[in-house]
Amino acid sequence: MKLNIHIPEPTKPIPDIRTGEGLLQWLSTVDHKLIGIMYLCTALFFFVLGFGEALMMRIQLMRPLNNFLSPEAYNQIFTTHGTNMIFLVLTPMLLGFATYSLPLMIGANEMAFPRLNAFSYWIFLLGGLILYASFFAGGMPNVGWFSYAPLSERFFSSTKGVDYWVISLLLMGIGSVGAALNFVVTTLTMRTKGILMNQLPLFVWMVFINSFLILAAFPVLNAALFMILIDRQFDAHFFVSATGGSPVMWQHLFWGFGHPEVYILALPAFGMVSEVIPVFSRKPIFGYEFIAASSVAIMLLSFGVWAHHMFAVGLGTTFNAFFAASSMLIAVPTGIKIFNWIATMWGGSVQLKTAMLFALALVVNFTIGGLSGVGFSLVPVDWRLTDTYFVVAHIHYVLIGGSLTGGFAAAYYWFPKITGRMLSEKIGKWHFWLYFIGFNCTFFVFHFLGLLGMPRRVYTYPDLPYLGTLNLFSTISACVFGISFILFFWNIFYSLRHGKIAGNNPWNAWTLEWLTSSPPQQKNFEKVPLVRSRRPLWDMLHPEDPDWKRENKNKIKKKGNE
Amino acid sequence: MNKNRILMFFFVGSESFFFLALIISYIYFSHTGGVLSESSHYLDIKRTGIFTIALLSSSITIFLADVSLKRLNRKAHRIWLAATIILGLIFILGQTTEYLKLYKLNFTISKNVFGSAFFTLTGFHGLHVLIGLLVLLIVLIMINNGKFKTIEHTAFSSAAIYWHFVDAVWIVVFSVVYLGALI
Amino acid sequence: MSRSSSPNEDYINKLFLWFLLLAAIIMIIVIVAVLIGAIHYRSKRHQGEPEQMTGIKWLEITWTVVPFLILMFFFYFTVKFMKDIDLPVEKNQQADIIITARQWWWEMQYSKYNITTANELHIPVHQKLLMRVESADVIHDWWVPELGRKIDAIPGTSNYSWLEASDTGEYKGACSEYCGTQHAGMRILVISETKNEFDRWVQEQQKVPSPPVDSVGQIGMRLFSERTCAGCHSISGIVAVSHIGPDLTHLASRKTLISGVLPNTPKNLYLWLQNPQKLKEGSHMPNFLLSNNELEALVIYLEELK
Repeated sequence: MKLNIHIPEPTKPIPDIRTGEGLLQWLSTVDHKLIGIMYLCTALFFFVLGFGEALMMRIQLMRPLNNFLSPEAYNQIFTTHGTNMIFLVLTPMLLGFATYSLPLMIGANEMAFPRLNAFSYWIFLLGGLILYASFFAGGMPNVGWFSYAPLSERFFSSTKGVDYWVISLLLMGIGSVGAALNFVVTTLTMRTKGILMNQLPLFVWMVFINSFLILAAFPVLNAALFMILIDRQFDAHFFVSATGGSPVMWQHLFWGFGHPEVYILALPAFGMVSEVIPVFSRKPIFGYEFIAASSVAIMLLSFGVWAHHMFAVGLGTTFNAFFAASSMLIAVPTGIKIFNWIATMWGGSVQLKTAMLFALALVVNFTIGGLSGVGFSLVPVDWRLTDTYFVVAHIHYVLIGGSLTGGFAAAYYWFPKITGRMLSEKIGKWHFWLYFIGFNCTFFVFHFLGLLGMPRRVYTYPDLPYLGTLNLFSTISACVFGISFILFFWNIFYSLRHGKIAGNNPWNAWTLEWLTSSPPQQKNFEKVPLVRSRRPLWDMLHPEDPDWKRENKNKIKKKGNE
Repeated sequence: MNKNRILMFFFVGSESFFFLALIISYIYFSHTGGVLSESSHYLDIKRTGIFTIALLSSSITIFLADVSLKRLNRKAHRIWLAATIILGLIFILGQTTEYLKLYKLNFTISKNVFGSAFFTLTGFHGLHVLIGLLVLLIVLIMINNGKFKTIEHTAFSSAAIYWHFVDAVWIVVFSVVYLGALI
Repeated sequence: MSRSSSPNEDYINKLFLWFLLLAAIIMIIVIVAVLIGAIHYRSKRHQGEPEQMTGIKWLEITWTVVPFLILMFFFYFTVKFMKDIDLPVEKNQQADIIITARQWWWEMQYSKYNITTANELHIPVHQKLLMRVESADVIHDWWVPELGRKIDAIPGTSNYSWLEASDTGEYKGACSEYCGTQHAGMRILVISETKNEFDRWVQEQQKVPSPPVDSVGQIGMRLFSERTCAGCHSISGIVAVSHIGPDLTHLASRKTLISGVLPNTPKNLYLWLQNPQKLKEGSHMPNFLLSNNELEALVIYLEELK
């Protein structure tokens, strides 16, 4: 592999974390593998906080007119919960797996910019800490994770929570943009010999495309954030209608970021599942080209749908119709992936390992979330369901059912590579079923609550029929859901000590990361074979039936028919 | 293509979206705020035009610095790079004095929505120019100290991409803000 | 899934039901297909690698085009129903009802009848009324599920929405855009009545209440001004008009207190005046530290304001 700048390879092995050098190694590392692990551990840490916030909300809501939490406390908690889960759990989880796996999957020894890589992580972490510092500075933000104006203006939110929120997001955004730049340049310039762009593993492809979303969307958020900060700190007038500003402009700018953001959270999870399902079906992904092309379609379309979050703002029938059309359109490339994943299984030899179970859970749950999303694109239906618990159902189905579930599939799939040991399948199965049942029971009832007229972001609700019962059911299910996470933590803890030794390729998978040892040495690869197809290891193991021969056979067959 | 230059291209592309959002917001707020007519006379097109010429010239000088480098004329390369920095500083000086003048006239970021949009858009551009100047200065110092062994060192060419970007953004901002006020 | 008592809500329900049908079909297909994949194609012992198929182009094209066509059908009805619900408003058309959303209550004015009230809207059944929805502070959202769409109340702009009830009855709604501490305590009650009942209600609301005849009530009326209640709350006939708090002219005629949070009883009114923050924490009404006697007098006075 040619690098323009010579990076000296270390001669000593990586010191154990328990030695004196261990901690400093982590703090000063520019090794993408260690940075990836740090992202993942950070995600787990903030997950505990975010789940605690969720549990407090569920306790408050388990019966009508409850007074476990004051309205002020509840409002800070739901705001922090949303911000935490999106920016401090899902984002680092996805960035972590990408940072860890992307170079390995393209046969590279490092990311293109190792120091930028480290910087991205640490500034992201700083952003997260600043968000929680607001707790000690007068109050956490309490205006919702999308912070609508003019509620977020100083006149209506005089505590510093919103300012901390703004600065926190600015810093975390810099981290995301840095990571995205690294992914793009690494993918473009550091592929090992033979990997063409249309032969990238789908996870790499998704992360690559996703990075363009990050590069284009976060700056729009930054513009909005600076504007609200300037309004608050320098008495500007951007979003204050009395002095010529426009509260609705905040919504346009925020959702101009916000909608691409949800695809930023979804695409890598699609990539993970696109790796896991083929391996555990023992055949290639069905319709690679369509899946790859559909992600490009999603990337482009996602910039044209933002105002579907604003159908109730009263922007007019024509305006609404345009965004209804674009939102329905974007459902198509998202939907076809579901069919492709299922078709991968059919005709295969399916192994229901825990990673595969999570991948299949994504297929089912994300379909539910995606369908409720399509419901919202039908504007009159949106007029009924927006800002109710139906939306809360939708977002949790796509974000937990989609992104988080994909993350667990990736965790079970790549844990052996990262640590050298297998996660316990026994604990894994318990984890999975409690997770799947707990999640669906907690959140499916939210669809009904929304249809029954319960608005979102309410610290309590009146004692109208079924509201109390459904909320109580959800709270109890949330406890079951929570137990599943305890099982996951235990699985990690147990397997790090007693897990079966994994070896290079415990799953008999076919992408390049499985070529090297588990865990990889600091220098990922000494040698990488010439790559001729999407599944280099399949080609190596099946010299009589390599992918590239089959692809050529198809081309010859086509030519023969002409 | 070189890694560093690709990185700079995508970074600059990303920042373009930032300025795009600010420019669209500026256009929106300046027209709907209801204060355009009374506020636009604060803008001094002639004066800002002169400093604009300085900034645009700095793009030419950095291009000439690049040409010198390719012709292996290290001395000319350093001189053109220094000229670029000086021209950039002239632009910053112009911006700063304009801000001071407006401040004295009580035209501030909090005066009205036009003021908010104007100072935010031009301010962030100025900030990007300042950062660019800092980078160019560091590159010049490192060149003078012989830190770059190969002639094709990408630190300079990447910085040049950023500098051209900063210039291009100013062309748009100047047109939208100053020339746009004429309409 | 919910009752509809409005032609507009009927459109919404219809579209939702069709969508639900589609969603159910797709879910069944997906779940069954996943189960077949997981069970029927489960690996058997000593099974070698299966055929390494990479795709079937015509199938993939089909399942791209078919969803697209289905969505076109939904798009057509989306636009059609949107237009049916959001009928155009003439340039100079005056709204029948003007809703001004405030943290955390609803001010309602009837342009035709010169009535101002709060939180409880009476409308005649079977009449298409034009609402103008505005906000005095942050963004709120007017939503009564059974009576049609929700519409944002945005400071600085006016939004129009049509309101028509097809049955008499009481309809509960709520603010549907997070607006601060007591967003949850900003509920709506719409009462749809026959023409006669509605006319009678209008007449009552238009009356200026005469001063109380009983002595305690008179004390209450005096306290209302002395203790600066009139600084925020209007009562017709008393000097000073203010919009900061709800208009109380006919408070006793309403079914609920504190924007739908509690039933309107003397006991609840007493508790509210005694400690507003306890009943609606964060509300802008301060605690005036009234004595028990003062509280009783005020409650008697206010409950006379039919």
